[in-house]
This record gives sequence, C-alpha cells and structure tokens, in this order.
Amino acid sequence: MLVQIAWRNIWRNKTRSFVVIGSIVVGLWASIFILAFAWGLYKNNIDESVNRHLSHIQVHHPEFTDQQESKYAIQNADSILSVLKIDDRVQSASMRTIVKGMITSPTTVSGVTIYGISPNAEIKQIGLNQNLIQGDYFTSGKDNEIFIGEKLAKKLKIKLRSKVVLTFTDIGSSIVSGAFRVGGIYRSKNLSLDEVNVYVQKQSLDNLLGLQHSESNELAILLKDESALDSYITYVRQLMPNQKVEDWKDLAPDLELVIESFNLYTYIISGIILLALTFGIVNTMLMSVLERIRELGMLMAIGLNKRKIFFMIMLETLFLTLLGCPVGLLVGWLSVLVLGTFGINIAIFSEGLASYGFSSIIYPALDGQIYWIVAIMCLITALLSAIYPAYRALQLNPAESIRKI
Amino acid sequence: MGKTIIDAHNVSKTYKETAVPVRALQDVHLHIEEGEFVALVGPSGSGKSTLLNMIGGLDEPTSGTVYVDGVEITKLPENKLIDFRLQNIGFVFQSFNLIPVLTSRENIGFVLQLQKVSKKDREKRVLELLREVDLEEKIDSRPGELSGGQQQRVAVARALASKPKIILADEPTANLDSKSASNLLDIMAKLNKEEKITFLFSTHDQRVIEKARRVITLVDGKVDSDVNQKPT
Repeated sequence: MLVQIAWRNIWRNKTRSFVVIGSIVVGLWASIFILAFAWGLYKNNIDESVNRHLSHIQVHHPEFTDQQESKYAIQNADSILSVLKIDDRVQSASMRTIVKGMITSPTTVSGVTIYGISPNAEIKQIGLNQNLIQGDYFTSGKDNEIFIGEKLAKKLKIKLRSKVVLTFTDIGSSIVSGAFRVGGIYRSKNLSLDEVNVYVQKQSLDNLLGLQHSESNELAILLKDESALDSYITYVRQLMPNQKVEDWKDLAPDLELVIESFNLYTYIISGIILLALTFGIVNTMLMSVLERIRELGMLMAIGLNKRKIFFMIMLETLFLTLLGCPVGLLVGWLSVLVLGTFGINIAIFSEGLASYGFSSIIYPALDGQIYWIVAIMCLITALLSAIYPAYRALQLNPAESIRKI
Repeated sequence: MGKTIIDAHNVSKTYKETAVPVRALQDVHLHIEEGEFVALVGPSGSGKSTLLNMIGGLDEPTSGTVYVDGVEITKLPENKLIDFRLQNIGFVFQSFNLIPVLTSRENIGFVLQLQKVSKKDREKRVLELLREVDLEEKIDSRPGELSGGQQQRVAVARALASKPKIILADEPTANLDSKSASNLLDIMAKLNKEEKITFLFSTHDQRVIEKARRVITLVDGKVDSDVNQKPT
C-alpha cells in the first residue's frame, strides 16, 4: 500500500509534479541533444578526415613515413592495387605519389605537399571533384593541370588558369621544377589542409620525380564498412609483409583520442546538466515534505516506521523520474532523428569551424548505448536528490509534527 | 480494582528550544485502569496534548516514567516503540487524521497491513469497523469527500483497527458540529462499554466532559483535580 500511497501522493499537487517531470524531460533532452550535437560535430570531422583525406588504410614503404622522400616507393603498386580492389570489402583504392616542395606564383612562394593522383580513382576518395569552386576536374586532357585550395590561391594571388611552378627533390636527390597551370580551385571542409595540399596527375609527378608509373608512395584503401577494418588490415599485412600498413587510427591518433575522450565528455556534460536538475528535485521534494509535516507525523504515530517513510519519499521521486525519463528519452531521440536527418546549419560559425576541419552543417548523432547511460545517470541523480528531503522527513518528531499548523 | 493500563510517574516535560524554557508538564502522576473513559481537561497550554503524547510514546518526557500495559515505554528503543504503538495504542487527532489519498477502506486497511494482517481478514475487519461507526456506505470515499464528523468516525475506526487496548484522542470533537460530536461520543462510549477499550481524550468541549466517567484537570502542567463522575 506504500507504493499506492506514494503514487497517489505525486498527483496531489499536479503542477508541482509536472514541474519535476518537466525538469527531468528537459534535463534528459538537453544532455542527449548536447552529446548528439558534439558527437555529430566530431563524427563529421572524423568521417571527413577518413573519407576525404586518410582513407581507412594506407600502405607506405617503411622508410617513407619517417623520411618523407619520394624515392621510398612501393614497387609494383599497380599489381597489388588490382588485387586489393577485387575484395568485396573495398569501396575504392588508389595509388598516390607524394612529395613535399615549393609552389611559386609570380608574386610569392609557399610550401606544399604535392599529391600525384589518379583522377578517376580519387573521385570516391579525396573527392576533389565535389569540392571544386572553380574549374573542371581533370577534363582538359592536359597533364600539367594543378588543383589548389582557395586559401592557397589567395595567398599566392593566383586565379584559375594561372601558371605556377612546383619545385621539389627527385628520387636522385636533384632539385627539379615543373610548370603547371591551375585547372581548378577547391574548398574542402578543412581549410588548414586546403592551404598546403595541391593535386596533380600522378603520371606527371612520376615523370618529374623519376618514378615508374607502377610505383607509388601511398596506397589508400577506403572500405565499404568500417567494421571490416580489423579483418581487412590483417589481410593487407599478409599481402604486403614488407610494407608499413596502417589504419586511420594509427595515422591520426588525435582522431582516436577524440573518440575516446568523447565518453569522458558524456559523463561531464551530463553531470553538469543533471547537477542543475538535482537542485530542482531537492527543492521540489523538500517542499513536498515540508508541506506534509503533519501528515508524516500522523503516519509515524499510527505505526509507519522511519524506514518506510524514507522509502515512501524515495518512491515518490522514483515515480516522477520514471515518468520523466521515457518522455525525455523520446524527445531526445526524436530531436536527434530529425536534426540528424536535416542537419543544423551553423554557417555563422563555419569559417572558424572549417579552420579546424569541421563542417558548417552538423548532423547530430548518438550511439544507442549513450541514451541508456544518460537515462541511468538521470535516474541515479533523481534518487540521490531525494535523499536529503527524505532524510529531513526522518528527522521529524511525530508529536511536534502533528502540532504543526 | 481493575488492571492498571496507564501508569505515569513524576512525568515532566520541558521544551528548551524556545528562548525561555517552557515547562509543559511538572511531576505528573497518573493512574488509569483498563476500560476507563477519561477526559483530560484544562485551559490551552495546560499540558493536555503533551501528556497524551507522552502516554502515546510520541514524545519523550524530560524526566519520569510512563508504563502502558505494564511496559515502560519511555525506555523502549524507537523501532520497538513504533511496533508497541501499532499493537496497543490507537490515535485520534483533532484534524489531519486520515491519509488524504486513501479511501476509508484503505485508511483503515493500512494499519492492518502494517500489522501484516492477510488481505481477506483485512477486508472483513474493515467492514466490521465501518459498520461500528455506521459508515459502511462511505467505504470507498476519500477523506475529502467526507464531512468532518464522518472523517473523525473513520479515524476512530482506524484507531480501533489494530484492536488496541487504549485509544488516545486529542480534542476529537474540536472541529465538529454538535450533532457530529454527539454521534462520535456515542460511538466512543459504546466501544468503551462493549469492547472494554480504555479511552483517554483531551477536550475543551463541555458535552464531551459530561460523557466522561472520570475527569482529570490539568493546570500549568500539573494535575489540579481528578474526579469520578456519573456520565450523562
């Protein structure tokens, strides 16, 4: 009957109960939404980095990673690439020639990383064609086209069709130069990379460097599904035991750190929001106890022991929380579902965010497990919040309580 | 002489929470036998409610001892005291007697449930009790749907639920009209006579005083007079 009394008690003051339920709903929703927004932001950054820059797996000559010299190339990379592409788990794979050098315009000079790419293969990977704001993607048929970022173009004060000179060291350690014409200007979601990465046709760069077209500094493999990463990387390592095979987490440990630290953020952000909720619940439940002093005194007088009084007040809070939690979860889930589909345009901040590699449209997303973690945290918070009001009820003296007006 | 049911020795109570300590009871001696129908009278602040609280184990005396049915309740630990109250003492208060969210059936059944009485026996006992206070038709009404007199009758039924030896009533008719008060007193007197339940009630109400067989007057926390009378 204590359960019955507790349940009916919460409906004695409907407004107050709805305020508590509302606080729980808002607290839960806010936690879920902020976490989903943050994860959407990071996920976008990770996806962008993996899909457009790193790919899931990269293979290099063991010396290339340390020395960054083009002479450390994978031999017969084209044959290996054909084998890799056959696998069902692979969405796309490409060969890249990479060299660090200087780009010179009529007015200035800048340090760049020059990527020699196979245009068709990179449509699904780097996706330069999608980011072009000027020019066409390797359609002129000329092999001296270069694609540069908008930020670099501004720095070099050059336009579409301008002529630039690339200077770098070939595999024989001689300085070589090549003249290129700007075939396109791109703007990706990562402005910091836009300033340093330039793209030319692989065969043009190979010719300047003295590399064979069958050689490659980098094999980049994009998988259809990341869940196949562990099994596929094992296969690649077996296929190329003498090369350095790394996944994106090895290549960009900062991205993995983001994922790992996200769990910590989950608890911190939810903790802060739920702390605010705590004050609301303590206040409301304390009011509820103080309003019922005479009644609690009478219950003690007729034989209800303090343990049961405590239990009754905790039950009242539990009921309110159990009513609020599903609604909060539902509202949170719906918000993430809707906004995760249509996205939130934060274009007003996009310039700043883009410098850090973030997109201007955020698609909130949240792992199902996080919903439950937040809901359980909310439940624990609510019950902890009820301890003080329940403790106050235990301090009541029945004789004094009954006399209270 | 009958069996002693309430025995208070040198009971004093001083409230020290106030700026000036208040001596609510001073060396009160009280001896009540089983089956008595006793009115505790006196002006406001004379210590009537305080004495009832001491006898009911709701409050502790500053000094002195209280025996109820041979048990020194002033020495019982809290949990045992709660259990003792549940088994032996019924309470009727001036107001806020009933649990507002429960019906008459549930209010009475609640005490029985605390005593771990089976559901079947609870139902039977609740009906019996409501019949005794003539409120069978209000079995499923909540306190808010009952008049003041009806609420007090349900409270008496609840106080009787655990078959207590004593019923302590603090100004039970204070909020009732004369008809309801008279009706309540008749029920209490009947229960006292037929079931030998000891009644001790504080009151200002002359109609209640006239029904009592013994009237104890408290003045300034001391027993001023203790007289037996023939009830009207």
